[in-house]
Amino acid sequence: MKTVKISSLQMAMLMYPTIVATAILSVPNLTATYANQDLWISPIFASIIGFLTVFISVRLHKLYPEKTVIQFSEQIIGRIPGKILGLAFLFFYIQSTGGITRSYAEFIVSSFLFQTPIIVVIVSMVLLCAFAVYGGLEVLGRITQVLFPLFFVPLFLLIILLSPEYEFSNIFPILERGLLPPIKGAVVPGGWFSEFFITIFLLPFLADKKKGSKYGILTVFAVMITLVVVNLIVLFILGNTTSSKTYPLMNISRYISIADFFENLESVTMAIWILGTFVKISVFFYVVVLGTAQWLNIEDYRPLVWPIGILIVEFSFWAVPSSMAFIHYEITAFPFYSVTIQTIIPLFLLGIAFFRNKNRNRNKKKETNSVYK
Amino acid sequence: MKWGNFLATAFIILIIILLQWPKMKQKPKKEKSAFIVLLLIGLFLSMFDLPYIGGPAKWIEYVFNPFGEILEK
Repeated sequence: MKTVKISSLQMAMLMYPTIVATAILSVPNLTATYANQDLWISPIFASIIGFLTVFISVRLHKLYPEKTVIQFSEQIIGRIPGKILGLAFLFFYIQSTGGITRSYAEFIVSSFLFQTPIIVVIVSMVLLCAFAVYGGLEVLGRITQVLFPLFFVPLFLLIILLSPEYEFSNIFPILERGLLPPIKGAVVPGGWFSEFFITIFLLPFLADKKKGSKYGILTVFAVMITLVVVNLIVLFILGNTTSSKTYPLMNISRYISIADFFENLESVTMAIWILGTFVKISVFFYVVVLGTAQWLNIEDYRPLVWPIGILIVEFSFWAVPSSMAFIHYEITAFPFYSVTIQTIIPLFLLGIAFFRNKNRNRNKKKETNSVYK
Repeated sequence: MKWGNFLATAFIILIIILLQWPKMKQKPKKEKSAFIVLLLIGLFLSMFDLPYIGGPAKWIEYVFNPFGEILEK
């Protein structure tokens, strides 16, 4: 298990769909609810959380190079509190995985497979991801290397094919009611940017550790640009009605009609979304399984993939009776929950670890000084 | 309690054990018990009508409700 290595480019390719996949579909709507025509500014504010989170995880990684957060939180705050904190992380990640799976399935069922029971969509996706996770991190890295162009290029094509429909005047008036609406709109994507904390589970397995932080920052930047561009094209086409559409990117891809040949490209959006969510669910799934194994001090995490797969399916239904309830949860609770667990708590961990190391170094200096006296 | 869900989960768990157990024979006891305990948690949860009982999503909404209200203003 220790020989598992991925390159930092693979890490970036894993992280990009992990954030973007679900963000491009539902975030324009959630942001537009607060920011209206300024929705394209919000990701820039939200990315501050992303940069901060990457900075924290890289710093923590430098202090404890071979370990993930589940292991070193025990060293930082003691054995029992560390175990409790580890459980909180695991609970957060398993519940997020359930939530992502649910939102994926709700989208598929409400837009394409109207007759299919939602459980079939969920179970088939979780089973597929379970096979990928069972293969290990290297397999995930290679899968994403193959899938990344298939994820990125159609997104790019969508932007170009839609260009005849753009109504650029929709962007005005910029900052009509000051900075507050875009900042409020930044709260929800902030929850997504906070997910960059997952890099802490990937950094120990990098073959080229020095490039880790560079690629991490680069990924945050790429995600920010993508979200700004997607929000802009949604705004250019839908204008003020953005906030009334649940999946704006889906709606605008129906607008494409070039030479009576390129039509009904919403299936392309669906393909992007399925590819991206597959990578996203696999990465979260991997984090849960690896974290559980480390929390229990188990050497081989692979047998745990199956029971945790069952738990993920159950968490995707638990206390979420309808898609309306899920969207309500995603707006009112998830961003704060995500930022608390993935940015604020690690910030405290980093602070404590920093002061502990400082004290230890000072003590060491004192000892060496006393030897020379 | 919904018997369909419970029986389906039990059936899936049975398949998982049948396929995974032979590979785990040499593994330490701790690993085996973690595997079984996690499966039992899954089986236990399947006995409830999950979407309509209180759960993590509800608890978290309750905890972070004040922040959400600030955003609504």
